[in-house]
Amino acid sequence: MNANRTLNVILGIYVALIFAFVFAPIIFSMIFSFNSQRFPTIPLGSFTTEWYAKILADPDIWEAALNSLIVSCSTAVIATFLGFCTAYSDYRYNFRFKGPYLALILLPPTIPLIIMALAMLAWFSKIGMSGQIYSIIIAHSVLTAPFAMAVIRLRLNQMDPDLESAAWNLGGSEWATMRHVIIPFCKPAIFSGLFLTAAVSFDEFAVSWFVSGLNKTLPVIILEIVQGNIDPQVNAIGTFVFLISMTLVVLAQIFFASRQMKSIRP
Amino acid sequence: MPTKPARTINLYALTWRLPIIFWQFIFFVGPVLFMVAMSFFLVKNYRMTEAFEFVNWSKMLSRGYFWDSYWYTVFIASVATVCAMCIAFPAAFALAFRASESTRRWAIFLLIIPFFTSYLVRTFSWFVILSESGVINGLLGTIGLGPYTMLNTNFGTLVGYMTLTLPLVVILQTVTMANIDKTLIEAARNLGCKPLATIWQVIIPLSKTGLIIAAIFCFILSFGDFVAPFYLGGSQEPTLPILILDTTKSGQQWPRAAVVAIMMMGTLFAIAFAGIALAYRKRKGAK
Amino acid sequence: MSKPLVVFDKVQKHFGNFIAVKELDFEIREGEFLAIMGPSGCGKTTTLRMLAGLEAPSIGEIRLNGKVMNNVAPHERDTPLVWQSLALFPFLTARENVEFGLKMRGVDKAERKERALKWLEKMGILEFADRDISTLSGGQKQRVALARSLVMEPQILLLDEPLSALDAHLVIRMQAVLTDLQRELGITFVYVTHSQSEAFAMADRVVIMGEGRIAQIGSPKDIYREPANQFVAEFVGRNNILSGTVSSLTKSTAEITTPSGTFSVPMNEVALSEGQNASFVISADLVHISMDEPKGENTAHCKLISEEFVGSMVTLFLEDAQGHEFKVQMQERELSKFDLKGGDEIWLSWDTQSAHVLDEH
Repeated sequence: MNANRTLNVILGIYVALIFAFVFAPIIFSMIFSFNSQRFPTIPLGSFTTEWYAKILADPDIWEAALNSLIVSCSTAVIATFLGFCTAYSDYRYNFRFKGPYLALILLPPTIPLIIMALAMLAWFSKIGMSGQIYSIIIAHSVLTAPFAMAVIRLRLNQMDPDLESAAWNLGGSEWATMRHVIIPFCKPAIFSGLFLTAAVSFDEFAVSWFVSGLNKTLPVIILEIVQGNIDPQVNAIGTFVFLISMTLVVLAQIFFASRQMKSIRP
Repeated sequence: MPTKPARTINLYALTWRLPIIFWQFIFFVGPVLFMVAMSFFLVKNYRMTEAFEFVNWSKMLSRGYFWDSYWYTVFIASVATVCAMCIAFPAAFALAFRASESTRRWAIFLLIIPFFTSYLVRTFSWFVILSESGVINGLLGTIGLGPYTMLNTNFGTLVGYMTLTLPLVVILQTVTMANIDKTLIEAARNLGCKPLATIWQVIIPLSKTGLIIAAIFCFILSFGDFVAPFYLGGSQEPTLPILILDTTKSGQQWPRAAVVAIMMMGTLFAIAFAGIALAYRKRKGAK
Repeated sequence: MSKPLVVFDKVQKHFGNFIAVKELDFEIREGEFLAIMGPSGCGKTTTLRMLAGLEAPSIGEIRLNGKVMNNVAPHERDTPLVWQSLALFPFLTARENVEFGLKMRGVDKAERKERALKWLEKMGILEFADRDISTLSGGQKQRVALARSLVMEPQILLLDEPLSALDAHLVIRMQAVLTDLQRELGITFVYVTHSQSEAFAMADRVVIMGEGRIAQIGSPKDIYREPANQFVAEFVGRNNILSGTVSSLTKSTAEITTPSGTFSVPMNEVALSEGQNASFVISADLVHISMDEPKGENTAHCKLISEEFVGSMVTLFLEDAQGHEFKVQMQERELSKFDLKGGDEIWLSWDTQSAHVLDEH
């Protein structure tokens, strides 16, 4: 039993180390963003808000932040709509070619972003849609729709299979049932999907970089700064980006988990 | 079992079915197919013209640097996969079998967060931490060691890959192992199986499918990532994604980038299919 | 006899190659409490779902009030269903659940509320009106589900094993609630169940289904005392079934020789001829026991195997020398007059009129 306890302690320390590795870059980035040294090391330099002052004074960063906001909000709405439609079709209907139909939405995240970026760039140039904000939005909704689809599909799985029929039986047409039963039931998952797709879109840099043209988003600005030099501004922007995307992911998870609090079936 | 009414296709059904078909055909299938077509186009005077020539393919596939890059990418992504699987396993094992249900949920909750936060900023953070005068060398310096060169090495690249893949691999391994029927493990122990042998003989075979899927994801992510090899590996030896980047951004040679991209996709599909076939293969003698 | 409300006219239902309902040809009368009973997979739920429009018949017609319903969409029918899973909307309160159907029918807000509250009160759950569904007990949810259907003031109410999730003591109470409601409202109830006690306790008529067909329709008493065939006799359970050949016939009785002996049975609508194979049943509660050999015909000498107590009723399981199983049902206090233990040998006997010949087809 003693050996068992020792093993548990060792495993506990090991898990803690893994978490340290995973969160170290996030935490250090935040620390560095308040550190006066240009090349941060141990011991740390003095506390400063210089880097934040710098980014706040930079109109390019403001513009990029606005672009990022527009892109992630629009992407979230489009991707969640597409994800909902597909999740519902999959839940409700059996039809021919359902396998390929589902592959259509589920495949994009398995293809490396650099390849999607090249393909999107070439295609948007071909059809004359490249270099616009909406090019990024379209590309991002292709990439993020499967995340929304997954959370909404999981929610539909928890629905009593009789619930929809029960609404028809009480005089609701299919459309009324969608509005008064399916959508209210899926509401937490819909919010979860909105936040999750917004978070993915907010952090995506490869595809944005290729198709954005002059309309840079925050990750693209970071990429360009990083390419040049070590500039602690990146840590300040990064901290900002982290806080926003972490908030979105945590919100998504709270909505995702909230349905487990309420009883699922009557 | 009663089923949903099987009615003929109506407006309602189509409303939910069609949007994704239209959207993905125009903005997903279209780009991918166009990229394939583009690999046969010609570039003259920095302008792309539509054609059907194999010149990009023969040029790329006959170049030594392409194949060097190809095998290096396969190699480094494989090393990353093995590392991630091995590093994650003890943690996943602990979370699946030694931790309480709620600890496990919290751990997964925390591990999901980095997956959806900026990989770019995390990589930059590693860049600063690992540099010659960075945090780690600073720490080691206080006890009289180092400085060690960690950036612009394979080690640097692997740190980047681990940043990208480790949280996902830990989650997938944990979920897979947590779903194993615990009584099977107790039965094995009861029949005299030693703890380490239990892992090899019982736990790994039972979670084979999930483990292979975790490995496939890890390989796909590492194989397709250009940030870690570029910033932390210094692109000493360019990986395929860096090749695509260089060819597209500086050389204007989109068709040749397309060739590289298609070779990458082909490799990934082959590995994914092989992995899935392995994962779902029936054991010999199993009914 | 009241006029038919629903007619199933040679209805079949196929799912691909699987035939769930082979042929249904029967009527549901206005104002009756009809139970449809059978083992799982017999097509009873499919029958109910066809009536609600959730499945369309593959062949044949279903008529409601003389109108063919085959192509009427579920939401255009007035056939509310009480679901086995209850299918209450988890994101609505009890009152909002009850109002749902009225809302779909475009009833205005004030009237909706008034009618919902009236029904919640009638079901005795007014105090829970604004509670979340998930906070209600099984019995309370059951009442919400009933109120939600009845608030529509339908001519016919469909119930699909609504009591199967409840505790035994609640089932008895809800049975009383249901029969009282049905009598008070005078509307038709169609009640699908696999539980014999529920069906026999509540229904005016019972439809026994097996393998997609109707095996028998009749009052609970008819089905219990005079099962039409072996399937019904076995399904109803508390029966002794004996098979043999007809050895002699008189005007009103027949003698049937079985491995366990020769017994006489009354003639009924089943035509018998000498030498043919025939089976008959005797309800377990119509068999008498005695320690000494009784006088008269229809006796069997058996060994007691086991006893089973349900409330004050006891069922004896016995076996004769040929290994044929017999069941006897009686009051516990009646049994206590005999001092029986396992392995004791006793005599069974019954009146000729208690036996009932089965239709072999």
